[in-house]
Amino acid sequence: MKSKNNTLKIVVVTVLVVLTCAYLLPIYVMVTNSLKTLPEIQQRTYLAFPLKPQIQNYSTALFGSREFLIPMKRPIINSTIITLVVTLLAAFFGGLGGYYLSRTRGAFVRFIFILVGIALYLPYQAVIIPLTTITAKSGLANSHFGLILSYLIINLPLSSVLMGTFFLGIPRELEEAAEVDGANKVQIFFRVVTPISLPAYASVAIIIFTQVWNEFFIALTLSTPKTQTAQVAMAMTQGSTISPYNLQMAASLLTVAVPLLIFLFLGRYFIRGILAGALKG
Amino acid sequence: MISAQAQKRKRREASVVEFLVFTLPLLVFLIVLYGTLLWNVYVSMANWVSTAADYTFRGLKWYGYLFSQGRFWVDVQNNLKWLILGVVPTTVLAIFLAYLLELAPFPGVESYVRTLILYPVAMSFVVTGTIWSWLYQPERGVFNTMLRSLGIHSPLTYTNDPATATYWLILIFVWQYLGFAVIIIQSSFRTAELQEMIEAATVDGASKIRILYSVILPNIRSGLMVLVSLLLINSLKVFDIVWIVTRTGPGIATDVLATNMIVTAYDQRLASAGAAIGVIIFLIAFILVIPYTIYALRKWFE
Repeated sequence: MKSKNNTLKIVVVTVLVVLTCAYLLPIYVMVTNSLKTLPEIQQRTYLAFPLKPQIQNYSTALFGSREFLIPMKRPIINSTIITLVVTLLAAFFGGLGGYYLSRTRGAFVRFIFILVGIALYLPYQAVIIPLTTITAKSGLANSHFGLILSYLIINLPLSSVLMGTFFLGIPRELEEAAEVDGANKVQIFFRVVTPISLPAYASVAIIIFTQVWNEFFIALTLSTPKTQTAQVAMAMTQGSTISPYNLQMAASLLTVAVPLLIFLFLGRYFIRGILAGALKG
Repeated sequence: MISAQAQKRKRREASVVEFLVFTLPLLVFLIVLYGTLLWNVYVSMANWVSTAADYTFRGLKWYGYLFSQGRFWVDVQNNLKWLILGVVPTTVLAIFLAYLLELAPFPGVESYVRTLILYPVAMSFVVTGTIWSWLYQPERGVFNTMLRSLGIHSPLTYTNDPATATYWLILIFVWQYLGFAVIIIQSSFRTAELQEMIEAATVDGASKIRILYSVILPNIRSGLMVLVSLLLINSLKVFDIVWIVTRTGPGIATDVLATNMIVTAYDQRLASAGAAIGVIIFLIAFILVIPYTIYALRKWFE
């Protein structure tokens, strides 16, 4: 028995060491190299610790310079606007739709649910040409609304299912009591269900926020110079040989900062959102 | 009699209003979504080959064109590699890790590991791809530097080698999704029934590996099915990693359907052929997501 426990301990420790290396290495490379000077990166190994941390790299990556022609400030503002609007609307509409799906029975609701289920993980490639045409023809491509609309279309089924999964887990007694008191479904939803579902809204908002912030395919195809998102700008620093490596890593850090901070501080909601996507409310 | 009828009508009107309040936004966006999907199917059967739209019906002409292209079959092979190697190792590793966390004899290990391996879920493939391409560089990259310091002159060129490039890209995907998979597996372990069965088996003196095979795995089937579905869909949709790290290269060695779609529709301006690739990806996704949807339906309506 004792030796068996020791084997387990050895396995656990080995796994911990391997995982720690595998998951900290990329972050280490990003952070340390974002703090170096360009000659330092070129002359020493990528693994070396920065000689003197170049904090100003972040402001150069944010505002641009003669060497760095892709300032991240505008793209980060664009991403923030687009992502916040999509998140708020998707959570609100998703709450309404998800509540209906979780509380109504019958063939019609099943039909809507199947449509939502297929749309949940729809590959964006299957709708991108019409989306490009719509946003170009309507002139939405030149404002944030083109991307906002496209993301809403694609994320509303997801937010509805996530919210619905949470609503399924709420005991019905409160709603039944309100119904006896003569409240209609809309009143019940806003006065009884919504206040106790705020954590669920937080989870869904975090999932949608992260997904939209990190989305690349639609952003690459639909964004114009005016509406370019952080991911698209980031991809340009990666693609071009003119962008200095240290600033490329600084731009990476700026791009992941927002969702990463959300994850670190609100991780519990994040995990609950993931589990709702796996249909575990 | 009349008043009862009027009351009935009133109630019906109220329920119509309720129905609209709750579902109107969802229905409108669903209609737009399926409208664009059908529109795309029509484009794939039209003859749109330049910047100007051309909706002349051409049947399956552009599907035939795709099937005659060598590139399409490279994509199919690569997508198959993604579907198998993006899903199987991730799931197996996740089961192993989740079980190890259940058994872990040290306190605090679980929350440490969760944070450690889950943070990539919050990051975009654009950024992780950028960082990993630093790890992979043959000359100065982090991996080969580390191997050199161990005295090994590494022959590996990672994503620069056409024969193995796709596998190195898939490794990034596995790295990024492992935490996600562990979370889902862990939650399927934690049902009261399963915990009781594990306890009973432990009392009976079954070994830990035996318990995993005979007690846990058969009882987390639905959780596994959901996880595998989600991983399949995400590895089918893969675009960002390929676009960022290798830009489909060397040559077209790492091309997948999603990247070919962009190249065909936007670089070569063959919108109809691009739309056809979109339809093909959708059909595969549709088939892959069927078990998930059926399971969800059962879970919701029974």
